[in-house]
Formats: sequence, C-alpha cells, structure tokens
Amino acid sequence: MTTSLLERLLADQQDLSAVERFAQAHENGSIPAQAKHYQRLLPTSLPAVGQQYAFEVDLDRCSGCKACVTACHSLNGLDDTETWRDVGLLIGGTATKPVMQHVTTACHHCLEPACMTACPVNAYEKNPLTGIVKHLDDQCFGCQYCVLACPYDVPKYHSGKGIVRKCDMCSDRLSAGEAPACVQSCPNEAIAIRIVDIRQVIEDSEAAVFLPAAPEPQITHPTTTYKTNRVFPRNLLPADYHSVNPQQPHWPLIVMLVLTQLSVGAFIVGGILDLFLEGPSQSAFRPVQTIGALAFGLLALGASVFHLGRPQYAFRAVLGLRHSWLSREIVSFGGFAAAACLFAAVALKSDCSTQLLRVLGGAVALLGVAGVFCSIMIYVFTQREFWSFGQTATKFVLTSAVLGIAATWITLWLIGTDSNSGSSRELMDRAGRDLARALIAAAAMKLAFEVIFLRHLLGHRHAPLKRSALLMRGALSNQMLARLTCGALGGVVMPLMLLQPLDGADADVRVRQGAIVGLLFLACLAGELLERYIFFAAVAAPRMPGALRT
Amino acid sequence: MSTDIASLLHQRTGPLTRELLLEPGGFGLGRVPTVRKPDAVTTTVCGYCSTGCSLDVHLQNGQAVSLTPTSAYPVNLGMACPKGWEALTVLGAEDRATKPLLRNASGRLEPVDWSTALETFVSRFRRIQTQHGNESVAFLSTGQIPTEEMALLGTLAKFGMGMVHGDGNTRQCMATSVVAYKQAFGFDAPPYTYADFEESDAIILVGSNLCIAHPILWERIARNHRNPEIVVIDPRMTETAMQSTQHLPLYPKSDLALFYGIARILIENGWIDRDYIEAHTNGFKAYAEYVQKYTLDVVARETRLEPQAIERLARTIHERERVSFWWTMGVNQSYQGVRTAQAIINLALMTGNIGRPGTGANSITGQCNAMGSRLFSNTASLLGGRDFANEAHRNSVAEILGIDVRQIPTHAGFTYPEIMEGILRGKIKGLWVICTNPAHSWINQKQCHDILDRLDFLVVQDMYHSTETARRAHLVLPAAAWGEKEGTLINSERRIGVVKKVSRAPGQALSDFSIFRLVAEAWGCGKMFARWDSPAAVFEIMKELSRGMPCDFSGIEDYRMIEQQGGIQWPYARVEGLGSRVEGQAGNKEGLLNDSASPRASSLSLGPGPSSLDPSLFPRQERRLFEDGRYYHADGRARFLSEDPRPLSEAPSEKYPFILLTGRGSASQWHTQTRTKKSAVLRRLYPEHPYVEVNPVDAQKLGLGPQSWVTVESQRGRLRARVFLTHAVKQGQVFVPMHYEAANQLTDAVFDPYSKQPSYKACAVRLEP
Repeated sequence: MTTSLLERLLADQQDLSAVERFAQAHENGSIPAQAKHYQRLLPTSLPAVGQQYAFEVDLDRCSGCKACVTACHSLNGLDDTETWRDVGLLIGGTATKPVMQHVTTACHHCLEPACMTACPVNAYEKNPLTGIVKHLDDQCFGCQYCVLACPYDVPKYHSGKGIVRKCDMCSDRLSAGEAPACVQSCPNEAIAIRIVDIRQVIEDSEAAVFLPAAPEPQITHPTTTYKTNRVFPRNLLPADYHSVNPQQPHWPLIVMLVLTQLSVGAFIVGGILDLFLEGPSQSAFRPVQTIGALAFGLLALGASVFHLGRPQYAFRAVLGLRHSWLSREIVSFGGFAAAACLFAAVALKSDCSTQLLRVLGGAVALLGVAGVFCSIMIYVFTQREFWSFGQTATKFVLTSAVLGIAATWITLWLIGTDSNSGSSRELMDRAGRDLARALIAAAAMKLAFEVIFLRHLLGHRHAPLKRSALLMRGALSNQMLARLTCGALGGVVMPLMLLQPLDGADADVRVRQGAIVGLLFLACLAGELLERYIFFAAVAAPRMPGALRT
Repeated sequence: MSTDIASLLHQRTGPLTRELLLEPGGFGLGRVPTVRKPDAVTTTVCGYCSTGCSLDVHLQNGQAVSLTPTSAYPVNLGMACPKGWEALTVLGAEDRATKPLLRNASGRLEPVDWSTALETFVSRFRRIQTQHGNESVAFLSTGQIPTEEMALLGTLAKFGMGMVHGDGNTRQCMATSVVAYKQAFGFDAPPYTYADFEESDAIILVGSNLCIAHPILWERIARNHRNPEIVVIDPRMTETAMQSTQHLPLYPKSDLALFYGIARILIENGWIDRDYIEAHTNGFKAYAEYVQKYTLDVVARETRLEPQAIERLARTIHERERVSFWWTMGVNQSYQGVRTAQAIINLALMTGNIGRPGTGANSITGQCNAMGSRLFSNTASLLGGRDFANEAHRNSVAEILGIDVRQIPTHAGFTYPEIMEGILRGKIKGLWVICTNPAHSWINQKQCHDILDRLDFLVVQDMYHSTETARRAHLVLPAAAWGEKEGTLINSERRIGVVKKVSRAPGQALSDFSIFRLVAEAWGCGKMFARWDSPAAVFEIMKELSRGMPCDFSGIEDYRMIEQQGGIQWPYARVEGLGSRVEGQAGNKEGLLNDSASPRASSLSLGPGPSSLDPSLFPRQERRLFEDGRYYHADGRARFLSEDPRPLSEAPSEKYPFILLTGRGSASQWHTQTRTKKSAVLRRLYPEHPYVEVNPVDAQKLGLGPQSWVTVESQRGRLRARVFLTHAVKQGQVFVPMHYEAANQLTDAVFDPYSKQPSYKACAVRLEP
C-alpha cells in the first residue's frame, strides 16, 4: 500500500501538468501589462538635437530594496553572478539628524564615455540620437581596458565569455516604448528615463553637481540626474568608504609591462654601451645583447596575449589608434618587435654596416620608448591618482633602466665565459663598474620613490593615495616586503659585491661572478614584477558610493 | 566577401550579441530574453514574506524558466522585492535534499530509500511514545508551507499520531499579535487591507522597518497621495525612519509607556471618539483611569524622547482624519509584546480609527503563510481558529472530519518555548521539525543546540540538507520547495492566494503534503485521511472548517476562482440554500459570537457559482473588517487591556553596557538564509560577514575604527563582527542583523508571558576590540 502510494506520489511530484488545470489568465497580449505603472516614467518624445536620454534617480524615493538590481539581472537574462546595476549607501549626519541615503546606479551613458575612448577595438558606440552608450559584445576582445577607464566601475568583465558587458539602458525596450528593467521594477518609482540637454549636463559637471562622494563628473560628463529635496550634510560618505580591498593584479599585464620595459631598457643600455665598444668586444657583445633583449620583448608580447579574453581578435586593436592608448601601445610594441627582429637579423651578419645598424638601432629605441610611453599613458588616462603620470612614468622608466642594466650584466658575463680574450675581461671590469654604479643609482632611486610613497599613510583624509598606502601596509604588506627585499638585493647589494674585487683563480672568480650576476638579475626581475603587482593591486579604483562590505 | 572581412574587423552582431537578445514575450509581459521566451505563463503567490505578492511564472514545456511580478495583482502592482525576483534561482541549489538521509552507526547521515526512511520514522517515534507516552513526541512546524499542508500536518500529528505538543516558527514572529487580537477583538483578525496604506492621512509604524522587511508594502505607502504624516517609532534610524516625517527614536522597549502616555494626552484633551467608545468597546473607563499616571514627564523620562515629540504625535493622531497604526517585530518580539500591541489597538479604538478606510490597528505579519498557520496549523488553536478547550468546537471539528471526538486533545499543548523546555527536562524525546531552522533561529542559540542534541530522535523535513538543524538530525526527509507544489497561502491582509507547481523537485524530494500522506499511511492512520488526497481536496475541507467562523471562506469556489479574483480575503462565506456569497461569515454555529454580531455582511453577491456570476458580484478586491464596529467577543465589543510596563529583561550593566538590537539587515536576506544565500545575485546585495552598527561616540570611547573587527559578547555567547559606524544607532545601543548565524548566540531566552513569543530585540552585550 505504502509502496504503491509512494511510487504514485514520486511520479506526481515530477508531473508539471497541474498548472494547465488553471486558466492561463494572460491573453496573448503584446502590450505589456506593466505599462500602466511605468508610462509616466518614460519620455514622451525622442531627444532633439543637443539632447539625449538619461537616467533620473529620485533619491527621496530610493528606499534601498535593491529590486532594480535583481530585475535588471533577470529581465536581461544575465549570468548567475552578473549584475549591471548596483545600490550603494551614503551615510553621515549628526547624532540628532543621522542620514542614510541609498543610491541606485548603473551606466551613466556619459557625454565623453571613457570606456569608448579607451576601447582599442571600437566596441563601444554612443548612439547619436539617444546618447545611449552601447557595447558591441561580438566586437569586444576582452582587454578590460574599459573596466579600468570607467570612473564608475560600470563595464563588467565576464571571464567565461572573455568579453565585457554592460547596461545599454535596455535600448531595445526603450525603442519599443517599454521601460528599462530597472524603471519598471522600482516599487517606489525612483528611476525614470528623461531627456537631458547636453549643455545642461556639461554645466552641471563643471559645477560638480552630480552626487556627493561620487567620482568627479568632469572626466566623462555622466548624464544621470540624482535629484532630491533633502539638504545633504557635508559629512556624507559612502558606506564602503573605509573598506580597502586589493584590486585584481592582472598577471599577464604585469609580465608584459615588466618584460617590455626590460627589453627596451636592454636595447638602449646595450646601444649606448655599443657606442663605446670596438673590435672583438663589440662583435662579441652585440649579438648576445640583441638576442637577449629581443627574446624578452617577444616573451612580453606573448604574455600580453594571455590578458585578452578573446586573443584571436587581437588584430582588431588597430581600430582604436586614433583615440585609444592601448591601440597605440600595441602598435608601438608591434613595430618595436618587428624593428628589433630586423636589427637582430642584420646584427648577426658578420659584415653588417655600422651605419645601417645605427639607424636601425635608433628606430628600435625610438619605437621602444614610444611603446613605454603609451604604456604609461594607458594608466594615466584612467585618472587614478596612484597611476598619475609622475607615479607611472617614474616606475616604468626606472624599471627599464634597472632591468636594462641588469640584463646587460648578464650579457657581459656570458661573453666573458665564451671568449677568454683579455678584451672581454677588460670590458667586464671597465664597463661593469659603470653599469654597477648606474644600477645602484637607478634601483636606489626607484626603491626610495616607492618607500617615500608610504608618507600618504600620514594623510588625515582617506584619500585614494592613502588607500593605496594602507593596502601596502595591510593586505599587500608581504608583497611589499618581498618587493623591497628583492629590489635592495638585486639593485644594491649584488652590484656592490660586483664592485668589490674578487680574489682567486680565474675560473673560480668566473663562477662566483656568474652566481652574483645571475642572482642580481633574478632579484631585480622579481622585484620589478612585485612592484608591478602592487601597482595593480594597490590602486584605489574610483567607483560610485558602495554598500557596506564586510 | 568584403563585408565578411569588414565584419571580422568590426563585428556589430553575432552569437554573443544574440545571447542577450530580447523579444516580445507575449502574455502581456513585454520584452523578455529570447532564450527564456515562455510558451505559457501562470501566476503564483510568492513564498517568502507575508506581503503575498503575485508572480507571473514564465514556463517552457511546463517548467518555470523565469518570473516577473504580476502587474494586475492588487497586492504588489507589478513589483517584487529582490527575494521574489530570485525565487526560482534558489530551487536549483546544490545542497537540495534529494534523498532521505539517515544517521548511521558511525554518526554520519547517509542516503536511504523512502521506505526505510518511513519505517524508521514510524518505528523510532512509536518506540519513544510507547516508552515515554504520547506527549514525548512533538512537532515544530512553520509559516512557510501552504495552509493545506499545515492542516494535514496538524491533523495527522495530533489526531492521527496522538501527539499532544506541536507549534510553529510563527511563535517567533506572530504569536503576540494573535493573542493581542484575540483578547481585544475576540478573534485573531488583522482588520486591514493594503489599500489602507494609500488611504491613510497618518501612518504610524511601530517597530516596523517596512522599507527593508516589507518593501512592497512601503511601495503602497509611496503611492499614498494624501500627503500623509509618516511616523516611525523605532530606537534605530532605519531606512523607513529616514523616509518618515516624524521619527521617535525611543529607548528600547519603552513603547508601552509611550502609548499609555499618548492615550493620556488624547483623553485629557478630549481628542477621543466618545460615541465609538460608547457603542463598540468595553473597559475604557478603567483604562482612562489607568493611564493617568503616564504624565508627559514620566513618559519623556521612560522613552528618553523630547516631550514635544510625544505631544506632536498625539496631536497628529487627533488632527488627522484617517490614522492607521501598524506594527511588526519591534512590538511582537518583546517580553511585553501583547500589552504593547494592545496599547496600540487601544489608541485606534479610542479615536475611532478602525473600520474606516486608511485606519486600523494593524499587525503586519512576517512569513508568507503565518496567517494560514494561525487558522489551520492545529497547534495553538484548533482547526479553523477554534479553541481546543471548547467542547462545541471539538465536536464540530470531529463532525466535519468524520473522526472520534476523543481523538482531539482538550488543550492546545506546549508552545515552542515549552517544547524546548520539555526537551530540556526530558519530557520530550522525539521531535519532527518541518521547514524551519531552530538551530539558527531560536533564541539563545547555544542552549538551543544543547537542547536539540538531547533528543533521542530528531527528524528534519526540509528542502536543503545543509540547514543548521538538518545537520543535527537523525533523519532528514527531502521536501519539495515553494514552486514545486500546490496549495494556498494567506497574506497579512487575510488574502488567500494560490501557489503552484511550476518546477520539478530534485531527485526524490516530495512535497510536504505527500510526505505527510506517506507518514499517515506508514503510521497506520491512512484511513483518517482518505478524503485528504490532494491540496485541492483539503481546501474543500478547510472551507468546511471555516464555515461559521470569522474567517469563513466557504464562498470561494476553488483555486481557479482565487486566481481569477486576484486573491480573496477572508471572510467570504457561502450561505446555504441561497447559493449566495457574503463578504462576511455565514452564521454563527459554535457560540463564538452572540446573535447580534453576525453575520457581518458588507455586501451580498448572489448567484450559483463564479463562472456564471456577473463580475460586479465578485468580492471587492480590498476589504477591511469591523466596518460596522462589531467585534467577535460575545458582546460584540472590543476590549481595552493594559498592564504596567516592566523594565528591560536584561538591562545594560557595567559589565555589559550596550543594548543589542536585532532585526532585518536587508531586503535580500530572508530569516536564516537557507534559501536567499543560494542566489549569487542576492549574495551581492548584502555584506558577506556579520557587522555591528555602533554609534561613533561609543566607538571613539572604545577605540574602534570603521571596519575594524570587534567581538560582541553577551552572557550567553559571542560573535565577531565588523564595526559599522553610524549615528543610526543611539549611544549605548548596537545593532546586529539576525540573518547571520551567530546573532542568536547573544540573544536572551525571555518570552512574553501571554504569547510566549521570544524577546529577540533587546539584551545586554559588551564590545571587545
């Protein structure tokens, strides 16, 4: 009895026909039933010239339920963890008048979208009529530069698909007269679509009328209007203001940056040294240095591909040359690699013309410097304080110097092993001394620069640079310690040892020298990789006010 | 060719773009993701809170693929909170219970088949009953399953299996309101309809953070176009307080004194409705005398409020035409909750603010079917809101069910805290827990764990095998979830709504209804439930059980009618012989009321059945009680009840100088989070780890910085939390959301003496950096 009932109930449980017993209350209606609730939240006409669509958020009506986030997720069919809208919290006020203001936020469909300018493959389009900034998913190759460029943390990288996706104001819905998901789902009618005058948006941005504690609107001219009848207290801060979390480190970028800078540095240091060499030392030095520098350069470019979500479309990067520093970087380093290959091919021929080599070498150096400059500008463009021109340029240039010299030391040692000629040993003694001194100077300067940065810990304000410093002292302190250790070891201690005369048999000295040089190089390289790790992880990314995080 | 190359270089569309393509979904839905375009749509009522929102479930081949809130439903007007939007997501979690699990000799839960599970269930519980008597096995039910399942469980356990003690987790949220209403009105009857939010001139919210706890009810307030005064009485500056026009941040648990003081001001100034009091109430004179001692000075001292704020509130109540009073857990979860709720009811009664649009003394319920539980769980009250101790009530239930009246216990049995104490004292050895998670939610958690571990046999029936309670069970029965079964729920405003099976339960999980039927068969009392073979059949039985009671809904034809009408509020009676329906109760068979008090027909609708009825004769979609001023006591009058306030059950001391407040943290978290933490999107909407709100002045004294870790410790336990500095909590008070498991390690097992509801809201703690 029980068994047969059990079987019946188990079968019933899997039977979904029960729903059909109910009337399907809905007719095959094409007019959305929800329209009556959202009609007044939509504009009644298209934007005129000099106007565009924009979100309008009535802060007085936002109660913090966050239904908009889930509705956007659901009505747009986003993946499990994917959300295009966020709700942050501003807190402040006094004991008698505390203030708690939830803030719903998505893409601001800016007048000057940083995502669009940054994109190397033109995967962003700003609709000339509606002003909606739309992302072309199939065009994206997953470089994530827009994620770094947007001050509002809007584009979201989807690692499974290898592309970025973002809010498009439900442009399909809007064009059919339907409300965007967030608009139709807000129980309190706090989100509306309105038409804004571009001139007004610019004026507001200039006067910084946007939202307390939000990133400065002058950068991109966000079009969202946050309106309120309240007078906010001056001490309004985001609920996540004090939470400091390391950012994604982006390992392929770390390797790419450090090795391209090594390569460029090695070419330049080698080129300079080359000027002072002659005869057998020159012919011994040049091919080894060139091949070494080239190998690291190619390795760097290889590593950079791993950063792309869809590397098969890397060629599209040429599209953004007119506006994207990333495009320019890719093209510059592409040219650098090509020129360097050519240079190597010519240099390896025993009867090459010095004149030709000088010209080619100059081109390689120029393209390399251009590449490094573009690398610097990629980060400067994001307007993050930790990635300011001063910070970034100092680090990148000094990395070139430190690793360029360190790599040259390897060459010197290698050619010393190859040929037992007196000239090689003499070269090692003479040039080596200068190189060691230069390395100590560059490395010490760089380390000092990085250590001095920690002065921001003393700042009273929880400003972006203090956040970076706090991370270096807190969550990233191990990396910081390792970085300083490696830097001091490879950049100061080892070169000092090289400056000391080594006693003993020649062969023995060679081995010991080799160990020192090898360690010097590895320590310098590790130190620079760690420095770059911290460069990415410790940056304070601007974002809209966030909710409490624990 | 050239276009191919061009698109290779700049590809405007393709497979990735198509993934997010929208197209008209039909069924009045507007655009939906193409991949989830439904071939059919049906409605169901949400299974989280008591608001009772309706959701359109989008189906492909009968299986739910998505949902949107129902635009036309009178409750939610096309809106839902994040939990509702994500209601389907949590069904697919990896920790769903898919097979019965039995603890083996080595102490591990291992899968067994249903037959073994049922045999073990019966033999172990029977053995305990044989050894220790019928009272030694109890059950703990829930406010989260359909009424039909509750009725079957309560009937099976008490009349079939001979259990005497059974209660529900509704004790943790609603018991106070139940007792307050029963004593004041004569029946547990929240009088309002949600339209009252929109029609009120003054909305007074007591211990109720609607913006977070009931976002869709806040929606209704946001749609009030009468420029209402919104008063929030809450120690914390909550989201709702932020939206108020008057916030009274009173000292915790001083609300009783506040309302007595307000009453005194109203009486003293003659700001009361003497005619209403005269015609419809009892005990006013004594009450008026009683409140004399609550002078403004006394009340200002007790509540630590500005006297002007108290006077302003009294004046608001007087000046506004339609004043509605609303309360939730801030009142219910208190050691003096019943009297506090009644003090609120008293204000409504004495000002005649009840039975009119935009008025009422209105308890907002917690769980989706707490209201069903109150009527049909057969725990504290006998089926249909009856009294176990009343012989006439027992007789009529026995008659309707066709059972021997001697099978019906003559008393209600233990309440939840009494069951826990019974286990502690060794009186109860076996416990059947259905769809609730006491190991997380019960007050003074460490003691609760100790209590549960004393059981000889603990059965947990749940949709997840991972709940804190299921992990302690000897036997886990895998249950189908909301969305995988049918039945009805009753929301806060007494609206009956239908839930439907729109998704397949995983593995061998069965609806609670089916599990109860299997247990009945295995126990050997299957015959008693021959008529109970489907939720729809049980609905018919419940209609019979409701007949003649204030909750009479015998006029409802079937589930289809409920759906067509956008839910139907009780009462909605069928009058025998006439084939007509009454928006009230039909007759008064069991002496609950005197003759003058029934039936309470606001309007009549005549006709043979819904399908042939003129739509204008259907019940009005928004109805409130007591429009005629007649209450359910034998004399038809409401009662004024009062009692001296008591001091905080655990006042702050030198050692534990802070008062810990608890409550909901966000609209994306539900209770012990067994469901809501299974949605990745919901998880993004609240802080991952516990946090404690601390006043900046206190923090400075203790040297606590923002975001620093702190230990919050009471006499009973401790938790680690991040400090969240905010003036929203007063000095000397801290707040911890209840959803984090450790929160109830701190709380103190103190109860309201009448409702036995735990006092979760205030205990003494200290903070250690």
